[in-house]
Amino acid sequence: MEKVAVTGLGVVSPSGIGRRQFWANIKAGRSFIKKITRFDASRYPSHIAGQIDELEKYSHVSERLLKKIDVFSHMALIAAELALQDAGIDISKEDPNLVGIFLGNALGGWLYAETELRDLYIEGREGVSPYMASAWFPAAPQGQISIYYGIKGFSKTVVADRASSLMAIGYAKKTLNKNKLKLILAGGMEAPVTPYALLCCNTYGGLSTDNEHPEMAYRPFDKKRNGFVIGEGAGIITLESIASAKKRAAPISAYISGYATTCDGVDRIHPAADGRELARAINLALLEAKVSREEIDYICLDGLAVDIWDNSEAEAIKMVFGQRAKEIPVSCPKTMFGNLLGASGALDLIVTILAMEHNLIPPTLNLDEPSPEGLNYVAAKAREVKINKALVISRGRGGINSVLVVEKA
Amino acid sequence: MDIKLQIKDTLSKLLKVKLEDLKDDVALQNSVGVDSTEMVEAVIALEKTFNTKLSPNEITKFSTINDIEKIVQSKLGSS
Repeated sequence: MEKVAVTGLGVVSPSGIGRRQFWANIKAGRSFIKKITRFDASRYPSHIAGQIDELEKYSHVSERLLKKIDVFSHMALIAAELALQDAGIDISKEDPNLVGIFLGNALGGWLYAETELRDLYIEGREGVSPYMASAWFPAAPQGQISIYYGIKGFSKTVVADRASSLMAIGYAKKTLNKNKLKLILAGGMEAPVTPYALLCCNTYGGLSTDNEHPEMAYRPFDKKRNGFVIGEGAGIITLESIASAKKRAAPISAYISGYATTCDGVDRIHPAADGRELARAINLALLEAKVSREEIDYICLDGLAVDIWDNSEAEAIKMVFGQRAKEIPVSCPKTMFGNLLGASGALDLIVTILAMEHNLIPPTLNLDEPSPEGLNYVAAKAREVKINKALVISRGRGGINSVLVVEKA
Repeated sequence: MDIKLQIKDTLSKLLKVKLEDLKDDVALQNSVGVDSTEMVEAVIALEKTFNTKLSPNEITKFSTINDIEKIVQSKLGSS
C-alpha cells in the first residue's frame, strides 16, 4: 500500500478555528474546557465541555442554507472550506467524478432534531421543518459538503462511535490507494453540546463530574482521573496521491502510510482489559506502513480517562514496543479542548501533523501523577522533539480500535 | 398589498432571496433555485399568509409567481 499525501488541514474546535489559531493555543497548553453556557445544563451530572461560541464569524455559509442544516454540518462545511484553502485547491477546476468525501460521526445532529421534535409535540405535524428529515442524520454533513462543492466520486460516512473519523480517514487512504479517486476530503464532525446529546453522553457514563474545576476535569493517565469531557467541532483534511500532489506542486503537510482497525468484541460499553486487540491494530498499521517499532517518535493517545480504557491502552503500547514504551513520547492533547467523540481521531491527526511540522509535542493537561506508569508522558508543557513518524490511536465504545501511521513530509 | 406582492414578500423572507429575483414568469426552480423541500415550506408559508389550504401538488418548483397568483386568487375567490 502506497503512502498518501495530506495537503490541507481544516480545523474547527474550541481551541480555535483554522490551523494557525488552533496551533497557537495547543502549543501554549491552554484549556478551553468550561461550564456549558449554551443552555441551562446545571442539572446534568456532567455539565462542562469544550464549546465553540463564535462559529458564525468564520462562516461562509448562506442564511438560506443555514436554516436547513444542523450545526454539525455547519462545522463540517467550514472545516472543509478551510482544508481546501489550506491545500490551495479550487474544487470547481477538479473533475467532480474523481473527488470523494469520507467523514465520521457518532451522534448525528441533535440540536436541529431536538428543536423540531419539540415543535412536533407542541404544534403538530405542520410545526416541523421539512428539513428535519435530512438535517439530523450522521451522513448529513457528507451530503451537504458534496452538494456545496458538486462532489460526485465515491463517498462514505463512518459511524463507529469515537473511532469514526480516524476510521473514515483510514478508508479514504485505502480508496486513494485503489487509484479510483484523485482527491478526498476526510475527517469528522460532532456537536454533542445540546440538551439531548449531553443527556445521552451522561447516560453512557464515563464523563467527568468535576464541574467545579472544568479546566482540571479531563485528566487521562493521571491517578485522580474521573472520566472524560466532551467537546464539539470538526476536523477535515485533503488527501491526494503523492503523484497528484507533486504534479500540482501542492504543499504537503504529511504522509499517511498505514492504517488498521480491530475490534475487542467483549462488551457493549467497555474494551477488553488486556489491550491485545489494540496492540494487534498497532502492529497491523505499522506493517502496512512498512515502519518498524524503532522508528516511532510520538504516539497521540486516545486517553478516555476511564481506568479500563487508559490501562488497556498503555498495556497495548507496552505489548507492542516492549522496553521502548518507556522512551517514546506520548501525549493526549484533547485534554485542552475536550473529546470530540466521532471527530476526535481527525483532531488528533491534525494535532499530530502540526506537532511534526513544529517539532513540538503538545502537552497532556492535568497529568500530575502518571497511572499506569511506564510510558514517557508529555505532561503539563509542550516538549521539543523531532518527530518523523508517529502513531494516532482512536478507540470507540465496546473496543473498536483504530490506528493510523503518519510520517513527516 | 396585492396578492402578487404578498406572494413575493412571503417567498423572499422564507427563502432569503431578493424580491427582484422572484421573476413573474420564470419557474421558481430556475429563478431562485428552489428544491422540493423548500417548496414544502413555501406552501405552508403561503397557506399562513393567505389563510387558505394549498396543495404541494398544485404549487411546485416548476410554478411561476404568475401561476401561484392564479391559484391563490381562485382559492380566495371560491372561499
